[in-house]
Amino acid sequence: MSNYDSELDASGLNCPLPILRAKKAIAGLEDGQTLKIIATDPGSVKDFEAFCKQTGNTLLSSGEEGGKFVFMIKKS
Amino acid sequence: MSTRLSGPERRQLILKESQKLFAEKGFHGVTIDEIARAVNVSPAILYRHFASKQSLYDAVLRELSSQRESYVEAVVNSDANFEEVLIGMTEVFIRSIDENPNLLRIEMQSLLDGNPATSEFFENRWKSFADYINFSMNERLAYDIADREIKILSASLMFQGMVREALLQKYLQPQDRLIDVSLSELSRELVTLFLRAIGIHETRLAQKEPAASRQTKITPSAS
Repeated sequence: MSNYDSELDASGLNCPLPILRAKKAIAGLEDGQTLKIIATDPGSVKDFEAFCKQTGNTLLSSGEEGGKFVFMIKKS
Repeated sequence: MSTRLSGPERRQLILKESQKLFAEKGFHGVTIDEIARAVNVSPAILYRHFASKQSLYDAVLRELSSQRESYVEAVVNSDANFEEVLIGMTEVFIRSIDENPNLLRIEMQSLLDGNPATSEFFENRWKSFADYINFSMNERLAYDIADREIKILSASLMFQGMVREALLQKYLQPQDRLIDVSLSELSRELVTLFLRAIGIHETRLAQKEPAASRQTKITPSAS
């Protein structure tokens, strides 16, 4: 998964900042566009699942790359 | 004892009972015999799960200090302005202590013991507030303001201090001195005072604009 429209690096930040910044970034996207998020907070995996469930956006993928967590969220 | 517990179940029970005892009496106030009695096993069985009192204590600390709260709802269920999110976070945090005051007691114990878990309590629990206040003030304070770093650090410490003191008063006194105050009332009041003190109380309506260049002034309230 390498196609995305916008990228957000939330490395080093604890909840709720990654979520808050993602919320703002998604607000600036068109429906169907994708946001890539990089985070280091181990709680972010659960947090982004809950975030997408509650906001109706689609969590396309959630994985780990080199000690960081990478999420792809499609605005829907 | 007629009920037979599996190994992991017994381990959980040991952790649970020793958490209570350590929270109440501290590391030095508790003996292995006492814990064994509380769990209804012999000290020999206890040692099968934990090599020493220290390793049991460390396990208790690890379990509590790694507990993270989720602030997703504080962000999703508000229009994400600084004040509302901070109130939501504070409520979640206070509720976690309300559900298990041992979390606070053990954190205080570890602080006095100089146990390395203290930094885990910060990393996993308090850092959310530190980060959030840091980041938000960084966005708002003008870059050329004098003593910028120390202003931001002090604000962050001030807020953590207020919340911690409220928790100490509410959960570590023999009698809850804030018994008539609801958690949400308390969170709201602390956040309101905090925002007034750091001078961004009035700016919350202007949130949508990038505020990096705005000089924040401390204006005394009109009343």
